[in-house]
Amino acid sequence: MYYISAASSITHQPTFQNVGFSAVIEPLRESSVLLNPDYKGFIDAGLLRRMSKILRMSVACAKDCISQAEIEQPGAIIVGTGLGCLLDTEKFLNNVLTIEGLLPPTAFIQSTHNTMAGQISLSIGNHGYNMTHTQNTLSFENALLDAMLLLDEHGDNILVGAADEAIEFLNEISGKLHFQLTHPITSGASFFILSNVKNVNPLACVKDSRAIGLVQHVGSEVHAFLKENELNAEDLDLVLFSGVGGHISGGVEDVFENLGIAENKSHNYLTYSGIYPTTSAFALHLAIDKMKTDKSLRNVLICNTFIQSNLGLTLLQSIEA
Amino acid sequence: MGVRITGMGIVSAIGLTVAENLQALTESRSGIGPVQYLEESEGLLVGEVKMSNEALRQELDIAPKGISRTSLLGLKAAKEAWGDNQHNSRLRTGIISATSVGGMDRTEDFYKTYLGNNNPDFNILKTHDSGSTTERIAAELGISGYINTLSTACSSGANAIMLGARMLLNGKLDRVLVGGSDALTKFTINGFRSLMIYDDQWCRPFDDSRSGLNLGEGAAFLLMENEKSIGISGNKTIGFVNGWANAADAYHQTASSPEGKGATLAITNALAQSGIALSDISYINAHGTGTKNNDLSESVALTNVFGEHIPAFSSTKPFTGHTLAAAGAIEAVFSILAIQHNLIFPNLNYQTPIVETGLNPAVTLQSETPVTAVVSNSFGFGGNNSSLVFSNHI
Amino acid sequence: MDNLKEDLKNQIIEQLNLEDITPADIADDVLLFDDGGLGLDSIDALELIVLLEKYHGIQVINPEEGKVAFKSINTMAEYIRNRKVE
Repeated sequence: MYYISAASSITHQPTFQNVGFSAVIEPLRESSVLLNPDYKGFIDAGLLRRMSKILRMSVACAKDCISQAEIEQPGAIIVGTGLGCLLDTEKFLNNVLTIEGLLPPTAFIQSTHNTMAGQISLSIGNHGYNMTHTQNTLSFENALLDAMLLLDEHGDNILVGAADEAIEFLNEISGKLHFQLTHPITSGASFFILSNVKNVNPLACVKDSRAIGLVQHVGSEVHAFLKENELNAEDLDLVLFSGVGGHISGGVEDVFENLGIAENKSHNYLTYSGIYPTTSAFALHLAIDKMKTDKSLRNVLICNTFIQSNLGLTLLQSIEA
Repeated sequence: MGVRITGMGIVSAIGLTVAENLQALTESRSGIGPVQYLEESEGLLVGEVKMSNEALRQELDIAPKGISRTSLLGLKAAKEAWGDNQHNSRLRTGIISATSVGGMDRTEDFYKTYLGNNNPDFNILKTHDSGSTTERIAAELGISGYINTLSTACSSGANAIMLGARMLLNGKLDRVLVGGSDALTKFTINGFRSLMIYDDQWCRPFDDSRSGLNLGEGAAFLLMENEKSIGISGNKTIGFVNGWANAADAYHQTASSPEGKGATLAITNALAQSGIALSDISYINAHGTGTKNNDLSESVALTNVFGEHIPAFSSTKPFTGHTLAAAGAIEAVFSILAIQHNLIFPNLNYQTPIVETGLNPAVTLQSETPVTAVVSNSFGFGGNNSSLVFSNHI
Repeated sequence: MDNLKEDLKNQIIEQLNLEDITPADIADDVLLFDDGGLGLDSIDALELIVLLEKYHGIQVINPEEGKVAFKSINTMAEYIRNRKVE
């Protein structure tokens, strides 16, 4: 069992330092914006002046988690990101192709995917294991699996999370490639502290997680995952899933129906998070928050079927279960 | 403790196969030269893989469109490492690759056309994200399930090997292809230029006159298997990875700490985990990029760990150039080659020790003494430091 | 008032994205790279080299040269004037 002792998210919803947000949030509107806290309360001004959106969100969430868990230092820092630091990448790429002569280096330095994990370690002076996973829509699950592996090996408080940032160009790409997205493209960061000891006041447990790339049969994988965890479909109190195409034949809703998961128990979390590659981290926080306020939720499955070839499964259990 | 390595593959500036790389290493033949394939300023010194995208696609039998050079290089190396192995439903097979640029080589082409309003093909961007480079390699090799990509700048390749070893030891997989791939791009070349650490001359790691790195490109993969997998595959073990560690320097965004804190932690922890005594390390394949900052900090770290008895060490980056996320994997292959053939590779272009530390790397090829255990260092931006320990025994 | 120094202050604030700092906050002799001063670091030093090329047409080839020139607003102004005379 892996206990979650802290959770923090900065998203287009009022998630930050707002326990119980799951009860009040509404489906995201097209015009929604990222709800930024005052970052000066979390990040040293000297570091803040260079930070892009994704870095600010990540460091603030990380610090919030550390203070929630009441720990001095996490044992490791593990981050998942699907597209990394897009703002700085776009900026430097633009400069490379348009400026003759010397280029400002800051955007290049901060374009690497591990800038979030690096900046968190720098902000808190952490010398532990520092890792960045980038596997498209499964980046967060892969980070989570690494954290669980570390707990099996050492058993320290692991800071694990995910972040992605939107740039205007993504909307242009989506239009040109006719993606016909059903939800707006957004930014978001969610971080957690994972521990294998039942600390003070844990929020929930991660029972198991799996990331399956180039998946063949979603239905049989979900079935096998539940079976390995000694659960039947009817034991699930809530299923949070992702899908961008609406209800299509053979889609994830049909899979749930075949498995016998009641329709009123399953919700498309992209409705609340909007679209970015690591929304399953948002779903984890959403599930934790719901479980905190609704004690009847004992087994919750997050089913990341954001893109068809990738399947992420995360099973949460309430502490009392 | 150790994990068995049963296959390896590599493509770098000094060769398109393991055999070609070994030959160039033993002949002290560098692969760095004036840029030929990438559209860049004439005379720029780079470690290019001597094969065009078209030739790579033909050899790998890939349709002309929709694949980045990073994927092509990775696929070439991964295929060599995979060899004649067969898929088997009883074996859980995974792949962990590392890349820092992903499909940036194609994104650059797209973006240039885009800025010029020349009707760019937006489909190119589907190969931009780093994860897609690994997915493509996995798809070509028929691997599904655990597919993962790490991106921690210049230590990425070493981290992929570390994660693969941990997955096997913890019983999550039976065999795993681990490695890294990075193609040369304008983005990275101009990036290191903007940091004023791109040397317009040959890079000179650990030399007092060093003034920067030369970038390279390439890919390397190792196949690692547990006992069950070897029982089925019958593969011969060619070496072991015995120790691994990653530590954060937490000093500065780009610079390494003067006291080599993160590097010292990584080397110390990897050695401790391997259970191999300091005195039994035959060779250190250093990160040794040729920048003022890295080589000094790494020298200090080596002294911190080994005191006055620093084993023979060298940087092989004057052969290949700095291949970023592939470096840790490429140098892992070199470490295994060192053990297999009892070789210590020369640190090319070296003349004068760094004043502050006075360390002398190996300057000629050494083949007389047995090489049984090797430390390989990979340090990256964001203070991401990793060390691996390889040996000829479990 | 020395226009070059005022321009430099504005350019530095913009190039380094020094939020909440105005030219009046930067004294001519404050140590730019000292924690008691502006607390700039090696990345800023590179950005200042870009600034010199962009606004003053001066190329700094050796980053070490910058270390001396970028001590304070006074030394930067002096460096620019000397280089322009060359």
